[in-house]
Amino acid sequence: MAMESELAGAMVRKPVTLIYPFEKRDVPPKFRGKLAWDPEKCVGCGTCVKVCPAFALELIGRGPPAELRYYLNRCVFCAQCVESCPRDALSMTEAYELSDYKHTIIEFKRG
Amino acid sequence: MVWETVAGAIELLVFPGFLFIFWLSLFYEWVDRKFYAKLQYRYGPLHTGPKGFLQPFADFVKLMAKEDIVPAAADRFLFTLTPIMVLALSLYALFYVPMVPIVRNVALGAFEGDIILVLFILTMIGFLKFLAGWGSTNRFSAVGSVRVAFQLLGYEIPLAIALLTAAMAAGTFNISLIAQKIVSEPIIGAALLPALAIAVVCFQAELERIPFDIPEAEQEIVAGWLTEFSGRRLALFRFATDVELVLAAALMAAVFLGGPYGPAIPLIPVQVSYFLWFLFKATILVLVLSNIRALFARLRIDQMVHLSWRYLIVIAIIETVFIQFLLVMGVIG
Amino acid sequence: MSGEYEPESIFEIPVGPQHPALKEPILLHFKIEGDIIVDVIPRPAYTHRGIEKATEARNYIQNIYLCERVCGICSFIHTLVYTQGVERLAEVEPPPRAKYIRVIVSELERIHSHALWLGVAAHELGFDTLFYYIWRDRELVMDLLELITGNRVNYAMSTVGGVRRDITDEVAHQIKKGMKIFRERLDVYTEVVEQEPTLRKRVVDVGKLSPHDAVALCAVGPTLRATGVKRDVRADDPYQAYDEIPFNVATYHTGDVLAQIVVRVLEMYEAANIIDYALDHMPGGPIRVKVPWNIAPNEVISRGEAPRGELFYYFKSNGTEKPERVKIRTPTLANIPAVRQMLLGYHIAEIPIVFASIDPCLSCTARFSFIDVKTGKSWVWDREQLRRYSLKWYGKQ
Repeated sequence: MAMESELAGAMVRKPVTLIYPFEKRDVPPKFRGKLAWDPEKCVGCGTCVKVCPAFALELIGRGPPAELRYYLNRCVFCAQCVESCPRDALSMTEAYELSDYKHTIIEFKRG
Repeated sequence: MVWETVAGAIELLVFPGFLFIFWLSLFYEWVDRKFYAKLQYRYGPLHTGPKGFLQPFADFVKLMAKEDIVPAAADRFLFTLTPIMVLALSLYALFYVPMVPIVRNVALGAFEGDIILVLFILTMIGFLKFLAGWGSTNRFSAVGSVRVAFQLLGYEIPLAIALLTAAMAAGTFNISLIAQKIVSEPIIGAALLPALAIAVVCFQAELERIPFDIPEAEQEIVAGWLTEFSGRRLALFRFATDVELVLAAALMAAVFLGGPYGPAIPLIPVQVSYFLWFLFKATILVLVLSNIRALFARLRIDQMVHLSWRYLIVIAIIETVFIQFLLVMGVIG
Repeated sequence: MSGEYEPESIFEIPVGPQHPALKEPILLHFKIEGDIIVDVIPRPAYTHRGIEKATEARNYIQNIYLCERVCGICSFIHTLVYTQGVERLAEVEPPPRAKYIRVIVSELERIHSHALWLGVAAHELGFDTLFYYIWRDRELVMDLLELITGNRVNYAMSTVGGVRRDITDEVAHQIKKGMKIFRERLDVYTEVVEQEPTLRKRVVDVGKLSPHDAVALCAVGPTLRATGVKRDVRADDPYQAYDEIPFNVATYHTGDVLAQIVVRVLEMYEAANIIDYALDHMPGGPIRVKVPWNIAPNEVISRGEAPRGELFYYFKSNGTEKPERVKIRTPTLANIPAVRQMLLGYHIAEIPIVFASIDPCLSCTARFSFIDVKTGKSWVWDREQLRRYSLKWYGKQ
């Protein structure tokens, strides 16, 4: 019987469920979502590739004209690449609804 | 003569017969699920039909369409017979409970002594559930069916005492006449309230709901006696559970609260007032059963039998003595 | 089953590897007489993923995130113990502010883990209502963690040399508000546990473990503290900032499932107090220091108090960027002999709650047994056989 007072409270209050996808919660600041790449700042050093724990980044080419291949289905969203990049060329967006039917490989290109 | 046969057939098949019970049982499952969810700050069924109203129907249709697997070692005869018999018996028992008595003033098959028949059917249903688990030849089903039998030992006697006390107070064994008597002399209804409380607890055990869902305890024995059933057989069992919920609510409403009979509501025909009174009383009982479901943890089987034999039977016997006392003193009857 | 009832016959029930009572796969082979359990044979290792071997192919930075994913519920303590170990290998001391932030996130994780456990224990007892209510309040803690770290699980907060993000004043204010609300909700649940009769009937005097058995069977964490033995890595071997923060080690004397519930609820209160104290006394300064990429040869151990007990890491470095050996001993593995003892002599109905009472996180537990597929025989090796085999494998014999 100990929960009866709680149950009585529940009868007059709104449920706590959010009816996704019609109701969504706001994403907090500095949330770790999908990766974004700024080609202006990247110099192609390859540090991000070295520190990624999931081998989700691949440098195509070498040095400043290099481009990045991002394996979205391998990424664990740890943001180590963002932190290790010496030029702050990588950042995390707020996108989190990333499911798809195929392996998503994003080719970051210059220009 | 022809009109009576046709009317009888319509009563049997449509209203308040089979079709009505079908939709009423799905409606009560929906009420139960929504109320249980509301008590837990959730929504329950939401998207199938307005406010999830068609969810129980959708579940039934889905299960009917799924593959029905009979394990190789199981007893095919018991496996096929028990779902059909449990459903048939619970539907059959409903014909003796006054729900919306339109053509005659009593339930479809009412006769003197039908309360004993309904009690017998309830026991048979419990026994058939035991056979269902036993015939599955699965360890978890075996444990579940043994628990069903134990639980039957627990709730059957206090339930019988409570129902027969009401019969004694009303002076008749005909459920419809008990209901009419309680409406005409409300003091009997007030004196029977402890018996109603016992009946609520015992029906919670009969329906195998928390705190007495021991035979089907999901976390302990997978699904108990229901484990091996799938597809159409499972659909029939689940539908039978819903019909038993209607049976429990309707029986308690009739025997303790007066059923469909009640003070006449002005400006509407008496049959509609029967329908509204019945719906009102039975729905309140379903909500009470759902509230109990949300309130407690699950008991162990020996704790349940202890509870029944140490407390429920004692209270039931005291209630019987009290009713006898009132009868002798001429306060009722 | 035959038609005749033979009271001496043993009925065998395999619980697992897939069973609604278990949240993760493990095989518990029960031998039952009537309704009473007479023997249990546990067989873990369905979740062996080869993480220890995988750490040898990745550098120290990549390994942070690999070790984080050993467990989802206690992920932060894995990173904390890992980074603490690598810092000891490199003989580098993290800054004080980093230590305090690590303590705060660690205690928040303890709260969310214990709240999760309490809900799951209620669910195992059939008390779904309590399960839903507690998880609703746990969302408060998850939101706080998301605010601080950017993710609800796998926080990736701790790095070699410190922490990655700072706790601003705004965030600190939110944490304090959240802790205040959470304490009020904890009061409600304490009252429910003390007064709900059906709950008490299922947990009092169930799954009893004596203190002597608990110490002899090497139980750790709340399972040990629920028998009255006062052992906690945070108090016995203080790491990070625990030597500067006063707190009580929660114990209870009865040794049954009720004691486990009480100990975990008390630990939740203590964690809230530790967080408040740490926020009030947080030192300023940097949050990380630089650690060399290649770590000189060294051999250290690193311990921490996970929500489930003592988490133990052993490291060996060899001068390169990749570790030579990382060995992980998780608390649930240490509790399995104890839970076997706790199950003997109780009813079938008590299997889920007694097994759940040690807070099994089987994704952390991974030992292996050998199975010969052709003959169907299975066996395990003891330490001596394993040592001889490994010497033969590495060609040193």
